[in-house]
Amino acid sequence: MKKIIELKNVSKAFDGETVLDNINLDIYDNEFLTLLGPSGCGKTTTLRLIGGFETPDQGDVIFMGEKINDVPPHKRNVNTVFQRYALFPHLNVFDNVAFPLKERGLPKAEIEEKVNEMLSLVALSSFAKRSVTKLSGGQQQRVAIARALVGQPKVLLLDEPLAALDLKLRKDMQQELKKIQKATGITFVFVTHDQEEALSMSDTVVVMSEGKIQQIGTPIDIYNEPENAFVADFIGESNILDGVMLEDYKVRFSGRTFKCVDFGFEKKESVDVVIRPEDVDIVPEQEDLLSGVVTSVTFMGVNYEIIVDIKGFKWMIQTTDFVDVDEHISLKIDPDAIHVMHKSEYSGLYGDYSSFSNEFDELEEIDESEDGE
Amino acid sequence: MTRKMQKWLLAPYSVWAFLFMIVPLIFVAYYALTDNDYNFTFENIRKFFVTTSSVTNDAGQVSEVHTYILIFLRSLKLAVISTIVCLLLGYPMAYIISQSSPRAQKIFITVIMIPMWMNFLIRTYAWMTILQDTGILNGFLGLLSLRPVHIIGTEGAVVIGMVYDYIPYMIMPIYSVLAKLDPKLTEAARDLGCNSVGVFKRVVLPLSLSGVVSGITMVLIPSISTFYISQKLGNGKFYLIGDAIEGQYVANNLHFAAAIALILMIILLAGMAVMQHFADIERKLEA
Amino acid sequence: MKVWSKIFTVLIMLFLFAPILILLVFSFNGSNSLSVFSEPSLFWYRELFKDSETLGSLRNTLILALSASVISTVLGTAAAVGINSLRNKFLKTAIDTTTNIPMVNPDIITGISLMLMFVFVGRLFGASSSLNFGTMLIAHITFCLPYVILQVIPKLKQMDKALPEAAMDLGCTPVGAFFKVVLPDIMPGVITGLLMAFTLSLDDFVISYFTVGNDFQTLPIRIYNMTKKTVTPKMYALATIIFFAILILLIFTNLSDEESDSTANARRAQRKSRRVENRRVISPKVYLSAAAAVLVVVIVLIAALGTGRDTLTLNVYNWGEYISDGSEDSLDTISAFEDWYLEEYGQKVKVNYTTFSSNEDMYSKIKSGAVSFDVIVPSDYMIARMKDEGLLLPLDFDNIPNYEYIDESFKDLYYDESNEYTVPYTYGVIGIIYNANKVDEADVTGWDVLWNEKYSGQILQFNNPRDAFGVAQYKLGLDVNDTDPVLWDRAFDELLAQRPLVKSYVMDEVYNMMESGEADIAVYYAGDYFTMLDAEAEDVDLRFYTPEFTNYFIDAMCIPSCCENKELAEIFINWMLSEEPAVANAEYICYACPNSIVYNSEEYIEDMGEEAIEVLYPGVENFSELYNRTAYKNLDQDALAYMNTLWENLKVN
Repeated sequence: MKKIIELKNVSKAFDGETVLDNINLDIYDNEFLTLLGPSGCGKTTTLRLIGGFETPDQGDVIFMGEKINDVPPHKRNVNTVFQRYALFPHLNVFDNVAFPLKERGLPKAEIEEKVNEMLSLVALSSFAKRSVTKLSGGQQQRVAIARALVGQPKVLLLDEPLAALDLKLRKDMQQELKKIQKATGITFVFVTHDQEEALSMSDTVVVMSEGKIQQIGTPIDIYNEPENAFVADFIGESNILDGVMLEDYKVRFSGRTFKCVDFGFEKKESVDVVIRPEDVDIVPEQEDLLSGVVTSVTFMGVNYEIIVDIKGFKWMIQTTDFVDVDEHISLKIDPDAIHVMHKSEYSGLYGDYSSFSNEFDELEEIDESEDGE
Repeated sequence: MTRKMQKWLLAPYSVWAFLFMIVPLIFVAYYALTDNDYNFTFENIRKFFVTTSSVTNDAGQVSEVHTYILIFLRSLKLAVISTIVCLLLGYPMAYIISQSSPRAQKIFITVIMIPMWMNFLIRTYAWMTILQDTGILNGFLGLLSLRPVHIIGTEGAVVIGMVYDYIPYMIMPIYSVLAKLDPKLTEAARDLGCNSVGVFKRVVLPLSLSGVVSGITMVLIPSISTFYISQKLGNGKFYLIGDAIEGQYVANNLHFAAAIALILMIILLAGMAVMQHFADIERKLEA
Repeated sequence: MKVWSKIFTVLIMLFLFAPILILLVFSFNGSNSLSVFSEPSLFWYRELFKDSETLGSLRNTLILALSASVISTVLGTAAAVGINSLRNKFLKTAIDTTTNIPMVNPDIITGISLMLMFVFVGRLFGASSSLNFGTMLIAHITFCLPYVILQVIPKLKQMDKALPEAAMDLGCTPVGAFFKVVLPDIMPGVITGLLMAFTLSLDDFVISYFTVGNDFQTLPIRIYNMTKKTVTPKMYALATIIFFAILILLIFTNLSDEESDSTANARRAQRKSRRVENRRVISPKVYLSAAAAVLVVVIVLIAALGTGRDTLTLNVYNWGEYISDGSEDSLDTISAFEDWYLEEYGQKVKVNYTTFSSNEDMYSKIKSGAVSFDVIVPSDYMIARMKDEGLLLPLDFDNIPNYEYIDESFKDLYYDESNEYTVPYTYGVIGIIYNANKVDEADVTGWDVLWNEKYSGQILQFNNPRDAFGVAQYKLGLDVNDTDPVLWDRAFDELLAQRPLVKSYVMDEVYNMMESGEADIAVYYAGDYFTMLDAEAEDVDLRFYTPEFTNYFIDAMCIPSCCENKELAEIFINWMLSEEPAVANAEYICYACPNSIVYNSEEYIEDMGEEAIEVLYPGVENFSELYNRTAYKNLDQDALAYMNTLWENLKVN
């Protein structure tokens, strides 16, 4: 595969505050790449660097082998779909989509042809003459995509384009975006804070936090083999415990020793141990297993989400079996349910559900939709 | 446009503002603090505060007063009355406008703006025709066999002139704040148990305070310094601070005119600062 | 509630439009009065279109308002964009505070401060005239700017920051993005700012008053300077025309606004109905081209205004309404001179004719070096003062042969003993005008009638210190020129005693009040009595009485030391003495004329009527002796200051 964009040792600060810290990233042709992370992680800034709206303080932005640090946006073969679409309110749908073509001074007939083609791709052919302010959110979204694609850029940048849509529409648009990407063969760089969105759409996911890339990989890699506690916690639910790698395939945590599939650690290395809530089986209390008491049970539809207190550490476990609060139970953990990671700066920050509530998650999401630079 | 280019756009204005907004004020201070030969002196300022004249009241008693301080206080009094009347008439008007349909709002605003396009000297002249003892108003009252009223030459006439000229400046800012007010807020207040008066007192009024403050500023400032209205509608009997400045200018006492202007400016700026301060406090209290 | 608010609205509208209704009605008045309606007529509209000076000042007002609003809109919009992009807190606060200055400062202070600066700078560079069209334009732009900025900034704040980025992303240059996307988006704010600036500039009087130069008089200044003479219904006619022009304009823009507004209210509209969706949204191009058109008009007008290189300029500074201006089929003096000069000398001359409201007004303009003029028409005592201060140039009478027609009585007078500086223009007497239907003629025996308690509240006194004190001094038999403060105190006490009886201190208002019977006794200039006679109401019978001991005044043409073309000025003065203009002016002004051509002209005597001739030319024996004894002379600085202090005292009461 061909590299289209390379970020090399890129750093960026605003008002003395570091936003990007030595980023290295390769983006390949025809790839659907997602920048994923909480607000303030630097994902939007990364996108703006590629778009040309910001210049890096250090490092280089390379586009098809050429350094483009100081090339202004209008000279880059990259287009953006903005978070709130940024449709031009004084132009109608047709003129919005025709805007980049008119900028290039294409003949009228050609413009018309290309715009109509684009509008039919996004299923808006009958809306050409309508004012963009009179469209629904989903329709505006599609106009923005059509407008960004009509100039046939090498790369399309999408800055949380689905954040303003309601859940059902968002799901539909995810499908549609994926379809458009496949049909056009254009590289998509997609920014989101929604891990589900990232996992379901992307070829490659880049997890970012605090201006640094935490992990780059396929959605499956990212989920199954998180590199550190941050990634493990941010993608899906995780119980993250302090442990010691006794030797290859043998890890000790919670006062017990478990078999595992991980190897290549130093002897007696302190590690973080990740156990996904759905990988744990609940069994009646047994002497030779980890045991604890159930402190809360929440019905989630597909399953129950229960919190178990084991030696002061609160585990989250997803199960279809019903248990009662205050019931004493044991956990059965298979070796391949255990994922061992090196210690990192995030160790100890995540993975304990002692203060867990669903509400917190939602609050966080509201904050993130305000995502700034 | 890049931010750098945007900043350059500010350059011509910055130069302009410095040359024609700030420097002239320095000149006022300079003239105020110098004599006819441009030597430094406090004499002009002193003169403002110490000049006295004897005044005979209605009962025929004679008393000494500080001429310019009295003139200033009189201007202030008329300006404050005018501002209050403007507020009392302008606020309900602005409220009514803001409650009407968008189309009607546009028409209202246009209609209120129209008089401002006609020369204000001419409009003031027309008021003379209306208000004088043998004027239109008394003619009208006569038709209704009512007793004629004597208005021209009274404080009332001057206030009417000022209110007439400046009420659009009260209505506009209040209206623009009220128009932006989210109707859900009043609904919420009602939902939480407020009656109409309560909604107005506890939600609409506090939220429109910024409009009221700028309305008051925009009416008070010109009405305190007017000199034409008082001449025409006050029968030349109300000598206001604007008349004093103009009088000194015409008498070619530029330095003393500048001194009066400087003192007026300082008093007004101090007043504005205090008012802004209270408005801020009130807003915080309401919040 | 609903009903009350309707009633309230109607009352407010009535209040706002009552005066406009009045001037609308009176513009169709057949007579010369602003308070007595005689018969409907289009007379004043015809007059208006004959009055090149008024139309000229209207044109000036429009040029000024257009240029000021366009320039301040361009400058202000640019500034708003800049301010909006500022991140530096300190800089932002500094700019915001500065922008507020013209808004929280009374306009009188803005006007005075700019005037002081212009005059100071003008002096520094030795300019003959510091104030001109440019300074007035600067002043107007300055006070319009904040309003434009305050209209545009909120629009910029509301705008999605990503819009210009999107445009650049799609291939626009940064500048292109501004014009193609940002400007159309903030256009409503820009247009409102433009309209506000235009309105403010159009209506401004105070700031113009302080910064007006010799070459560019606007309508408000012209109206204000009519204070010695009357404001005619012609001005009402003009106001009425402006009113309808604006009404049509506003209806027109309102209609187009509504369409673009539908975008702003889109969401609401969307919910309400789907039918309006296909309505065309007015394109920003329309706005842009409108703005461009305005700019072109301004440039063309300014270009038209600018005089060519081979055109001479003559700046004449006269009292308001003190020259025959072409109304009522009279001679349009200024354009007649321009034509005559072109014919006689084969060269174009452009006369900038501007007016003042009082001697003192004129004096401070010239003394401060703010403006330069070639011909001025001050009164006697002011001539003496200006001569003493070296502000006048001696005339070359070889260029003014018509001086021989000036009556010998008007030569060798105190203010110009050796006849070097002046050519008398008009003269007159101050007398008592009274309504014989209300005032017992037996009471009118002298100045005492102005102190007669029988007529309390019916008396009009001068609203200028020199004349008002003069009346008291003549009454007391005092010398009006004695500087002894004790004597001035006596006159002051007399005026103070009169004050409760005085209905109003007046200048031009005297016309309305006497014509309509609003007041019964006034003291004013004899010539103006005839103007009032023409317009008196049915139940009013005005008479004139000349007290024995009173003021005779002479207004004379002079050339100030700031004159830039003395020979041309002298040619103008000489021409003014020739028959046609001299008679026309004497008839127009109604004051007595010292020019023998005029008072011997049969046409003049016939036109004025016998009564007028009798009152205007009382046939005083030994006029120059009487004049030198009673006329106002120049008071020294201390006496003037004392008089002004006393005057303020009187006003404070």
